Amino acid sequence: MHGRVKVKTTAQQEEEKKKEREKKLKVYVAARDACFSKRKDGVLDDEALQLTQQLLSANPDFATLWNYRREILTHLETVKDEDEAQKIYEAELSFLESCLKVNPKSYGSWHHRGWVSARLPRPDWARELSLCDRCLSLDDRNFHCWDYRRMVVKMSGVPVKQELEFTDRLIGSNFSNYSSWHYRSTLLPLLHPGSPEPPPSRCGGDPPHSCSPPSPQAHFHRVCEEQLLKEYELVQNAFFTDPNDQSAWFYYRWLLGRAEREEVISCAYVSREQERVAVAFSRPVNAQSGGLLLVLDGQPQRAEWRSVHPHFKHSPVWICDLPPGTISDVANEHNLTVHWTEKHTHRDCALYTGRSESWCRDTATDLELFRSELSVEKTSVLQSELQSVNQLQELEPLNKWCLLTIILLMRALDPLGYEKETLAHFQTLKEVDSVRSAYYSDLCSKFMIENTILKMEYAEVRVFSISDRNLTTLCHLDQLLLVTHINLSSNQLRRLPPQFAMLQCLEVVEADNNSIENLEGVYHLPKLEEVSLKNNKISTLADLQPLASCPKLRRLDLRGNPVTQTANVESELAELLPSVADLLL
Amino acid sequence: MMSAQLKDVIIKPDAPSSLLLDKHADYIAAYGSKKDDYEYTLSEYLRMSGVYWGLTVMDLMDQLQRMNRQEIIDFIKACQHECGGISASIGHDPHLLYTLSAVQILCLYDSLDAIDVDKVVEYVKGLQQDDGSFAGDKWGEIDTRFSFCAVATLALLGKMDTINVDKAVEFVLSCMNFDGGFGCRPGSESHAGQIYCCTGFLSLTGQLHQLNADLLGWWLCERQLPSGGLNGRPEKLPDVCYSWWVLASLKIIGRIHWIDKAKLQRFILACQDEETGGFADRPGDMVDPFHTLFGVAGLSLLGDEAIKPVNPVLCMPEDVLQRVGLQPDLLS
Ligand SMILES: [Zn+2]
Repeated sequence: MHGRVKVKTTAQQEEEKKKEREKKLKVYVAARDACFSKRKDGVLDDEALQLTQQLLSANPDFATLWNYRREILTHLETVKDEDEAQKIYEAELSFLESCLKVNPKSYGSWHHRGWVSARLPRPDWARELSLCDRCLSLDDRNFHCWDYRRMVVKMSGVPVKQELEFTDRLIGSNFSNYSSWHYRSTLLPLLHPGSPEPPPSRCGGDPPHSCSPPSPQAHFHRVCEEQLLKEYELVQNAFFTDPNDQSAWFYYRWLLGRAEREEVISCAYVSREQERVAVAFSRPVNAQSGGLLLVLDGQPQRAEWRSVHPHFKHSPVWICDLPPGTISDVANEHNLTVHWTEKHTHRDCALYTGRSESWCRDTATDLELFRSELSVEKTSVLQSELQSVNQLQELEPLNKWCLLTIILLMRALDPLGYEKETLAHFQTLKEVDSVRSAYYSDLCSKFMIENTILKMEYAEVRVFSISDRNLTTLCHLDQLLLVTHINLSSNQLRRLPPQFAMLQCLEVVEADNNSIENLEGVYHLPKLEEVSLKNNKISTLADLQPLASCPKLRRLDLRGNPVTQTANVESELAELLPSVADLLL
Repeated sequence: MMSAQLKDVIIKPDAPSSLLLDKHADYIAAYGSKKDDYEYTLSEYLRMSGVYWGLTVMDLMDQLQRMNRQEIIDFIKACQHECGGISASIGHDPHLLYTLSAVQILCLYDSLDAIDVDKVVEYVKGLQQDDGSFAGDKWGEIDTRFSFCAVATLALLGKMDTINVDKAVEFVLSCMNFDGGFGCRPGSESHAGQIYCCTGFLSLTGQLHQLNADLLGWWLCERQLPSGGLNGRPEKLPDVCYSWWVLASLKIIGRIHWIDKAKLQRFILACQDEETGGFADRPGDMVDPFHTLFGVAGLSLLGDEAIKPVNPVLCMPEDVLQRVGLQPDLLS
């Protein structure tokens, strides 16, 4: 069904073809029916092997016939001695080799080969490995063959080092080989694990070379620094040789960003007035599935955790209401601890006498906040990487891979210091790779939000202001749990998404001059008082419905929105949002 | 030293640029009547999926009534085996691939009671392995595609709780790669088809937050080539079916706007055959029902209002899933 070019034929050619096909059909159907009827009768003989061989040679995807062959072979195994069985299975391997020559991408043939190899009384794994070598030399992207190779390597205990050298050879002869770079990404952490964490003992007693590779996204998937430097060099060779080969750039981005954030409770917040606790985690969790314990003044509480928006079953922010009266008396001091039991971590928070709220969290720095995207490697290394890629960019000023990599390196080095250059590079990127301009806009938005969070942290304020920055999306909202004022005006936002409900301390929202048409995330914000949405695209009263869940909302500016043209808008809004005293239409 | 040559196709100026729905409906309606055709007979090993492709695309075009409902339901009944599994055709062995296709067809026809549903559930459950993975059938081939088939079948039957979902999730996550994508098994290279299965799997199991959506989304949007078509892996040719798998995955992770929709639409339309109806993998190639479904479904995801809305996770009409009561998660 793939790659069959349609050819124009004459009526006569068509007629001849038709006759030929009819003939083929007859032979095929006869063989198929003979196979089926033999199988139905439980016949497991040589003739059945021949018949299935004939059919499978033409059609290796006929899975049921491979099954039939396996039934016959397992039967023969029981009636023959070991040498004969070995011979039968070896014959099967030669047959398979001929099938794979004709169709190297048949799932059925490869699976059957794996099955035969594992059953062979005296397996010859070296031969299997060399079959893979030959097959990959014909097509170095055949993922069936790569997968078979991984199985052979695992079964026969080929050292990881030897496989890494194999990828050296393939990459050396052709840098543009995504499959080899991929394979490296699974081998390197096994061979050169980074300190401090050694690879966990998830493989029981098996020697390390027979481990299945751990997920690269996992915490322990690091590569030691010495090897990392060698890898940088190898990849540089690749992209200096062919700067448009995406394989090397994908691999490079992975090398640059392997660190994962620790799993912690990043912030605990308590409000006396709302009698509410809000907790932020370093990754989305499901607090309802247990594992979270709230202790107030030494007493474990029966807490009912809820996510900030019904849209989320997993969320980085969770809230729970304390029983009425528990902490409402300002004359009392309270001590609160949230335990994340499965991660053996907790966070304390003291609410002092006379205070209306309190929180406890890590002092955030650039390294801690956005580590998941950035490397924690030595600045000097990254600095010299940046120099090299800058050199390449001088030769290839419009190379998108190069531009994007420069941006990533700059962010790893000094996100605020390089902000201006970053924005300029993004602008060029959107022009040279316009097909993906929305991706670059979103990525740029993300980086600008990160920068704004960093600035806010340094200034130790609870005001998040990012206006006139061409923001197309909002992210990292879990980092804004304590923010009281947010200014998003003059951007290109189309919505305040469900994640917006994580801003549990929010009092004032300014989001004028965007293209906002959806306010889903302005949902149960207990302290929200003022919302300014001038010049947006809110068109129906239903779009404003979420605001009705914010009990303290008293000022709403909707000037310049289509909704203001609705009939009886004023009285309708008075009914929908009774707390709003100050309505601007 | 070889260098990377950009593999792509060129769309000719006279390639079709409008949607030929009537021709496609005629093509599919006629396809099933070629039962004594050689090519048709060769594809018997996947007949059940073939029927699913044909019926789904007909339903998306609101032409399902043209197909022979009773004949198809009888066929499915005849393909259910003692073990509960369903085969591609009569005389063939049961497999998860065709079990899912059969259940999907019966959902289109609102006729799940035609088969023994409890036995299907037992069959699916019995194929789960200790590590959480699923074998495609009793012969033990392991693949993340089969993890998807298992949970999709059970989700449609409302029986997800019969398997060890935590373990199943653990296995699929162990197939995640350095690029945020997924392959067939742990260590296998990322591939758009497998990514579709794994993002769909994580949607159905409520675990989409486990993805690195920004990284995966970047890899996926880099599949778009200058012709507008999408490929399934780096340095491969564009293809209508990969266009669906990439597009649906992007939809599931909330990043469909990261590709150029107009260009993709132009590519998909150019893969139509104006004479015969149907879609091919690439402009100028032979059409088949498989690419016809994924062409039409892709256009639906891109917002073509002449086609019913399609669900990106199950590749079925949204109205059918509403009837079943299934609404898989999507990232926002
Ligand atoms: Zn295709």
